[in-house]
Amino acid sequence: MTAETLIEAAPANEVPPRAPVELDQVTKRYGRRRSTVPALDRVSLSLAAGSFTAVLGVSGSGKSTLLQCAAGLERPTAGTVRLCGAELNKLPSRRQAALRRRRVGFVFQDLNLLPELTVAENIALPLRLDRRPARRPDIEQAAARVGLGGAQLRRRPGELSGGQQQRVAIARALVTRPDVIFADEPTGALDPHTATTMLQLLRAAPDGTTVVIVTHDPQVTRFCDQAVFLHAGRVDRVLPAPEPGLVARLLFDLGERAAAGPSAAPGSPA
Amino acid sequence: MRGWRLAGIRRRPGPLVGTVAASAVAATLTVAAASIAGGHTTAPAGRLADASVVVAASTSLHVNVGSDGAQSIPLPAYRGVPAGLAGQLAHVPGVASATGESGFPNGVVRPGDVDLVAVKARPGVTPAQLATRIRATLAATGYTVATGAARGDVADLNAPIERSNGQSLGGALIPPIVLVSMFVLASTTALAVNLRRRRFALLRTIGASRGQVRRAILAELSLCGLAGGLAGLLPGAALGALGTHALAAHQMLPAGSSAWLSPWLLLIGVGSSVLVAGLSGQVAARRGSRTPPAQALRETTAERRWPNPVRVLLGLAAAGGSGALTVFTLTAKSPAGQLALALPLLLACMVAVALLGPLLVALAAGLARPLRVMGGPSARLALAAITAQPRRTASAVIPVAMAIALVGCVNFANTSIAHATTREAASTVTAGHVLSGPGLTPAALGQVSAQPGVRAAAGVTPVSMIAADPDLEPLYGEAVAGGPLSQVMNLGVTSGSLAHLQPGQIAVSALEAGSGQLHVHTGSRVTVWLPDGTPYRATVSAIYAHSLAAGDLLIPAAVAAGHTGTSPGFGQVLISGGRPATLTTLAAGHPGWHLTARNVANAQAAAGAAQNSFGNDLIFGVIGSLAAVSLVNTLVVVTRERRRAVRLLGRAGATRGQVVAVFGWHAAFVIVTGLLTGAAAGAVAMLAVTRAATGSWVPYIPLDQGAGLVLAVATLTVAAVMIPVRLMLRREPALS
Repeated sequence: MTAETLIEAAPANEVPPRAPVELDQVTKRYGRRRSTVPALDRVSLSLAAGSFTAVLGVSGSGKSTLLQCAAGLERPTAGTVRLCGAELNKLPSRRQAALRRRRVGFVFQDLNLLPELTVAENIALPLRLDRRPARRPDIEQAAARVGLGGAQLRRRPGELSGGQQQRVAIARALVTRPDVIFADEPTGALDPHTATTMLQLLRAAPDGTTVVIVTHDPQVTRFCDQAVFLHAGRVDRVLPAPEPGLVARLLFDLGERAAAGPSAAPGSPA
Repeated sequence: MRGWRLAGIRRRPGPLVGTVAASAVAATLTVAAASIAGGHTTAPAGRLADASVVVAASTSLHVNVGSDGAQSIPLPAYRGVPAGLAGQLAHVPGVASATGESGFPNGVVRPGDVDLVAVKARPGVTPAQLATRIRATLAATGYTVATGAARGDVADLNAPIERSNGQSLGGALIPPIVLVSMFVLASTTALAVNLRRRRFALLRTIGASRGQVRRAILAELSLCGLAGGLAGLLPGAALGALGTHALAAHQMLPAGSSAWLSPWLLLIGVGSSVLVAGLSGQVAARRGSRTPPAQALRETTAERRWPNPVRVLLGLAAAGGSGALTVFTLTAKSPAGQLALALPLLLACMVAVALLGPLLVALAAGLARPLRVMGGPSARLALAAITAQPRRTASAVIPVAMAIALVGCVNFANTSIAHATTREAASTVTAGHVLSGPGLTPAALGQVSAQPGVRAAAGVTPVSMIAADPDLEPLYGEAVAGGPLSQVMNLGVTSGSLAHLQPGQIAVSALEAGSGQLHVHTGSRVTVWLPDGTPYRATVSAIYAHSLAAGDLLIPAAVAAGHTGTSPGFGQVLISGGRPATLTTLAAGHPGWHLTARNVANAQAAAGAAQNSFGNDLIFGVIGSLAAVSLVNTLVVVTRERRRAVRLLGRAGATRGQVVAVFGWHAAFVIVTGLLTGAAAGAVAMLAVTRAATGSWVPYIPLDQGAGLVLAVATLTVAAVMIPVRLMLRREPALS
């Protein structure tokens, strides 16, 4: 089953609520003129409100580019991206920035926090950028939701473990009660136990929050509603209710195909 | 929560330290220059201290110059007042006594005249009241009536001239300081912003608008400017005091001058620093805010290999502009115009080098490829880092190039001018012997001329005149008598004749005769003013080329006599022919007279010409310190940002020596590339200055000074790279 078929599978007589993340024939190429490298090739995808989606693929398959285009961090070479109902390429930079700080949260593997700000200040940053009051109880509540509190709020990122830093990043992503959270390899540098805790925290985001996670880790899909597999910049398949063992085999198969060359035929899931 | 905008500067100030330091140096120099320019430069009243009021013939020349209207300039000699004026002033109500005074330096020597009249007030009459009454009595312009501190300027006519020179120098220093500071700060701030793009990328990612990021950057830079301005205040005031003292010691300010100390200096230092930091940070702030977040995230790990095409285009435009300005400068008809364009030309060249820096680095790295084989793994690693990060390497190369360009241009333009002056001084006198000493009167000149075998004897003495070229300006030249001049001096006459300069005639240097200056040719009529303000209208009888040693104007000594503030006579008598024994006997018969051979006299003149360079040394010091601070600043910051590379090398098994060698190769690349590009950029402006001032295309670069500059820049570069590397190595367990 492909992404296109998934979208078409929606009953025709129902008008589903608009998906918060929609990509239509999105292409992204890097480089100039003859030396361009296609990172995404005519990708169409629609992620429903409240869904928890893992984007998987081997290195270089276009996972992070997909996330950056979907989040408005990168401008596609062609195609349309709709985020929270807004068509991004028609939105001026200023309104894109406002959209990101009000309705989108981000969690990355690294470069998550400003090192000069305390934990509390980092959590409050999106509110500050939006000129909204960052009340102490709200910040403490957001921190408490990810298991942080007390003196930890006054510490700087450099004084925290990797897992604690990711908790802060999740708290910051949640503090604005966003519609969508984009996470790029959020568990990549964490031990399995901490990684599981992080995913539980993301899974516990308020109802209706759409979560998109880019990952290499099949275990992440345990928490996901669906898994989108990318190969050579294209959607290879979309797997509902993914099971980690199957995901691992599919990933291995994608690796084999990538090693064989970009034109290799799709393999069959075991 | 406190402001996120300034959190970086409060808690992680590392990348911004350079900006603060550069601001502090800029503020120090601006405050010092302002402190010198606005200094208290009242000359002591000296022997007139007891006088309530001093009356002299006007000590300034007032002339209507073209469409600009009236201009005035201090006179270097007294005009003198009739001795009878003292008796006239004695009858003014409130005058206790009025005494004619003479014998001041540059005083009158005409019989019946005195230099000035010193008036004492009766008890109960204030100097101001008395001065008002005296002005009413004189009822005519053309007098200077001075009380209080103004008496000092009448007691010493050099004081206002020195003050004007010193204040002009202080004022002249401010524009280049501000311009060069802006350039230094622009490159420092660009680097500071570039090094923190991760921070700005994250802010953009989580929703900061471009305006928020730009304002955050500008707020940081303004705060850096504020901190730098405050830090530079006291050192600037101290430097201003030292500079004022030094200028006074070199007769460029009146003796006893003191620097300006005022709360306004705080505003000048801080205000200029904040303004310069804010203006110079505009481009960096704009760039930091415009980069798409994802692109910025990518570039933090892998820099774009080819420079931004917009930057290259701007660089090429700057290079083209420099070329056009060079042509414009070199074809400018007046030397003054050429000199005025020299600084903009230098700055345009430096802007071109700064913008094309990454491209130049990429090209230089291509040329250095053979070193990858010859230099071993360390050179290979260093070149790989340079090739992968041309923009960051350019950040290190640019201040080196700038230091070479700035210091080299200023210094070697000076040495070229000094060398040309010395060479001219050494070749101007062609007479066989030179007689010097006191009492070389016209009669003595006649006595020398009458000696057996003397073919030519000319008396020469320096004289300061005033001319409208087109503004009223002091011009230096010689008063000459006897001759024929062509047999005792080689002035390189280009038109007319200098055989005998008669009253009613004047000879003008080619530089001064040019358009934009006096704009005269042989046969033109021109008016100059003698030191006491007496006008001298004369016909140009000759134009000569060699003006560096002889000055810009030659007038007959008979015309100058009695108007120069010195006894009639000559500083030297130049003699061609004659028997040495006879001339020696003549000199021996007059106490104080010295007869020297031409080469000895020329050597003395050359030594004298080379000495008076304090003003140039001051400018050189200012420019050099700015360049040095910028260089060290930038290199330390750039090197410290490579600690991750040091760590990686250690973990990959590199030895301490190999890491040091990698950075050594890097420093060598930076030095060589910076040296070549800086020399090219500085040479253009230096040649323009040299050409304008000396008429020659050939600069003079003393080997020791050239080597010294290269060595100083290389030492600073190596120190600014290697000291941070050593400190980083200590903190790396794998390498310590």
